[in-house]
Amino acid sequence: MSGVLGRLLTALGERSCYDAVSQCSRCGYCEQACPTYVASGREPQSPRGRNQLARLLLEGKFEDPLSAREALSTCLLCGACTSVCPAHVPTADIVLEGRRELSGTRSAWLRKALHHLFVRSPDILAILIRAGYALKRSGLSRLAARSGLLRLIGLRALAEADAHVQETPKRLLFEMLREDTSLKEDRAAAWRYFASCGPNFVFPRVGLATIRILKRACGRGSFFDGRCCGLTAYNYGDLDTARALARMNIERLESLRGEAPLIADCSSCAAFLKSYPQLFLREADWRARAERFAARVRDVVEISPSLPKDALREAFALHDCCRARHGQGLSQQPRRALQPACARWRELPESDVCCGGAGLFAFKHPGLSEAILRRKVSDIAASQARAVAVSGTSCLIQLARGLKKYYPECRVVHWSEAVCEALDHEDG
Amino acid sequence: MPVRDVSSLKRLLPGRVFDAEADLLAYSYDAALERARPDAVVIARTAEDVRKAVQWCAESRSPFVARGAGTNLSGGCVPLRGGVVISTARLDRILAADTQRGVAVVEPGVVNLNLQKRLEPAGWFYAPDPASHKICTLGGNLGENAGGPRCLKYGVTTHYVKALEVVMPDGALESFSIEDEGPEILSLLVGSEGTLGIVTKAWLGIVPSPPEIVTVLAAFKSVEEAAACVAAVIAAGVLPRVIEAMDRLSVDAIEAYAPAGYPRAEAILLIELEGEGKSLELQLDEVSSLCRRHGAIECRSARDLAERERLWEGRRSASAALARLAPNVLVEDGVVPRSRLPAAARRVREIAQAHGTPAALLSHAGDGNLHPQIIFDERDREQTSRVKRAGLEMLRSCVELGGSVSGEHGIGVEKRAAMTWLFSDETISLFRRLKAALDPEGLANPDKVLPLPGERAPGETRPKARPPTDAAAALIEAVRQRAKDRRPFSVFGARTKVPEQIAAAGKGSALITRALSKVVEFDREDYVATVEAGISLGELKSKLEPEGFFVPLPMSAGTVGGMLAAKPWPGVREGILGMRVLLADGSVADLGGKVVKNAAGYDVPRLLLGSWGALAVILEVTLRLSPIRPALPSELPKPRPPRFGTWQARLKKAFDPHGLLNPWVGELR
Repeated sequence: MSGVLGRLLTALGERSCYDAVSQCSRCGYCEQACPTYVASGREPQSPRGRNQLARLLLEGKFEDPLSAREALSTCLLCGACTSVCPAHVPTADIVLEGRRELSGTRSAWLRKALHHLFVRSPDILAILIRAGYALKRSGLSRLAARSGLLRLIGLRALAEADAHVQETPKRLLFEMLREDTSLKEDRAAAWRYFASCGPNFVFPRVGLATIRILKRACGRGSFFDGRCCGLTAYNYGDLDTARALARMNIERLESLRGEAPLIADCSSCAAFLKSYPQLFLREADWRARAERFAARVRDVVEISPSLPKDALREAFALHDCCRARHGQGLSQQPRRALQPACARWRELPESDVCCGGAGLFAFKHPGLSEAILRRKVSDIAASQARAVAVSGTSCLIQLARGLKKYYPECRVVHWSEAVCEALDHEDG
Repeated sequence: MPVRDVSSLKRLLPGRVFDAEADLLAYSYDAALERARPDAVVIARTAEDVRKAVQWCAESRSPFVARGAGTNLSGGCVPLRGGVVISTARLDRILAADTQRGVAVVEPGVVNLNLQKRLEPAGWFYAPDPASHKICTLGGNLGENAGGPRCLKYGVTTHYVKALEVVMPDGALESFSIEDEGPEILSLLVGSEGTLGIVTKAWLGIVPSPPEIVTVLAAFKSVEEAAACVAAVIAAGVLPRVIEAMDRLSVDAIEAYAPAGYPRAEAILLIELEGEGKSLELQLDEVSSLCRRHGAIECRSARDLAERERLWEGRRSASAALARLAPNVLVEDGVVPRSRLPAAARRVREIAQAHGTPAALLSHAGDGNLHPQIIFDERDREQTSRVKRAGLEMLRSCVELGGSVSGEHGIGVEKRAAMTWLFSDETISLFRRLKAALDPEGLANPDKVLPLPGERAPGETRPKARPPTDAAAALIEAVRQRAKDRRPFSVFGARTKVPEQIAAAGKGSALITRALSKVVEFDREDYVATVEAGISLGELKSKLEPEGFFVPLPMSAGTVGGMLAAKPWPGVREGILGMRVLLADGSVADLGGKVVKNAAGYDVPRLLLGSWGALAVILEVTLRLSPIRPALPSELPKPRPPRFGTWQARLKKAFDPHGLLNPWVGELR
């Protein structure tokens, strides 16, 4: 049993979850910031509604607690509500806590499977994924192949995700990076690269782009070669696995010399790595270690490589990944280097509104996700952008799908790839 | 309370009805403290959905409550008797934004800010700007007669409503317009808090944006000095678009949380001026020198948007700053005549101290609207009830100072009892009759706005009604006599507008109001005058205008009462703050007040416009005066007595069940 966190780190300091949710005074200022409320018009699918329902759950005032499941499961966890809330009520954390309250012992076997794969035998996970790609490439039925395998090990949502991804990388990112001698561990490393699962298993090109930028902007660095950040397990309600992975990553960073920053190129992972201390509020020692670790984490969009002005001629836009903007408070950082490098910069009207990808959300709530996606793509189309940069894996998958369907004139790239395109221009 | 069977409602509106426990709980609250569960929630997508839902409620005798964004601060959206919550949040289309005619046509679920965004590129805006404008819906704004900082110059929601499409409590879909002949039902609906029907479409006035805006920040050593400065600015004939005031507690909270660089002064004013070129410079010079003359210890101004935003940032983060201090902030909403603001601020401080409930004070100083912000934790019952008591006492002190219990948040459930401080039993009973006339089954948002039978706020606060003048006393006596004998009669002023055959013969005996010729109260400081209805427009203007106080009514032969009752021009509604009226049974009701913003009770004074004396006899009217000459039409059409529609006829019955007053109105043509 993973149980619940019980206490949260909020903008107002450490609070019990109940105190944190009671900070919501129902003013409603969050409602229009919430993509699911705007899409559905239903109070239970608004941040205020979710906070109130979570609070009533905590107070034991539900006769039928499971009726709150829809409200909690439809939360994107984007955090836009917290940004506009006068008291910065951490709705996403509260929703996750509510989900854990509700789930109880449900899917215990799934937790075990996840725990086993991610914590005990990450190599087996890699083998499974590689085998899947091989099958997919070999033309055997797409679903029966890798997706089937994923389904078998309990990752239904990931399997659905796979059906949306066209890419079948021949080699996984970490394999390439381990062989790259220029990235060997070195006490003098100016940075360490954390390979998030997205770039690692699905989009190796993103990781390679990131490394090119880091080398260019910060000099020599190394491949961190750690474990999954634990976000997937955390979002599944599996706190034990999330903590185990966090401890491994913390220990690994501690074992390396120097104080170089740890850089991740999926904003969801970066935000989660930065939030490790919240996992250890009851363990003073680990909390302190997690705080030291978190202080060293950077999202790649915080790096500002110098780029040639107006290098990118295409009309370019930026979609703020929720976990960068709301999770880490990064709003100017992703623009600092990229915007001047774009001859035709298009600022999206609601660039900080979620695209509806949000990890597994798009596959668990396809209708709602589609409505949110349409709003996002219509903003992009109205801006007449021909390329959109993002910094999260979910956004990459979701927008690739949305643009292909509704606005095929436009492509989506990772922020690192956009920056590399500008570097290409400079390098001729 | 028995749970109603909503299965037939679900069949009627497939996919629109929700009744899982989580849904019912999520619609059991708004931004205030009260809670009650509905039996079902309808998420309407069309006016027809609303109509069907209301009709279902009418047929099954189920209460219903309309809800927009649920940001109500007085519990107005809480379904006290269960029933159906009808959400109009998804009726969110802007159907037209016509700058040629100055009208926007909207559905009720449109968020106030979204209308602004739509108008901005064209250089226009919608004036009412409640603090919650980023989230609240225009339907809610209509229900509450919402105001906002900008209302000092631009007026409140009712000043911008041109027409409404409404589902009435029996399920009938009706339209009402400002141009309708007969009593202004439109005005009665605005601010009625969903107790008389549900708006499904609105035609709203929009205005061109000013070319330039300057924001002035002025800091004072005392609230009194700041208030005196505000009065001086208004008296100088400068009409700022906004005058906001913050007290020391607010400033300290802001500076501790999100430093805005405000001076640590006892009172800070933010004054916004608008205009162009030289005229704006003149205004700015005048305001700056007035601030200094009234003891401002600091006074600076900002022109470009970013600079202005910086000055406003502190004010905007005030509630955030306070929210950090405790989970909940009770935002009270009292209003007093502007000149009483320092006294009100003192009383608020004393009451907060006496109850041990820290309260910061933010005010729309230009119109006497104060918002004490009391910090507490609603989980602490004792503290919560103390805070509620303190809040009510603050409202009570506003009434004692000649004000009202709500400037813009409405009465809802939380201030229901406080209505007895403000209104006499006669007036409240009139409100009840109006409600019953339009909603005989009492299904539309029941138990809101009006005190329940027998419900009273503790203590007598209502200032003793001013005794009638001799002329009024004589009229009251005459009407009582006629009511006793059930003798119909005709009300005449100067007889300049009455059709000849009536003026000559009259049906029943005549009741002449010409003797009601006094200026009862002329409050130069607050720019308000109460005058008797029989005074001629010429005489009134000649009394006030030489002193620089302008009457918001066009010049015409005849009396003030005649002008209002016959309404030859829809604009006569603009400057009306209150009325004293004589009802058909000889009782007297005092309506509205002398504050420029008032969201307490039904807007009966405006309902009476165009009623031709068939609903009640206007004895007195309270008018908002202007320091500058308003634009008024010089030629007026000759008004004709109206024919009454169904709803007007029902209201007539509520006012005058025996048909004694001007029986010829409503039928003659």
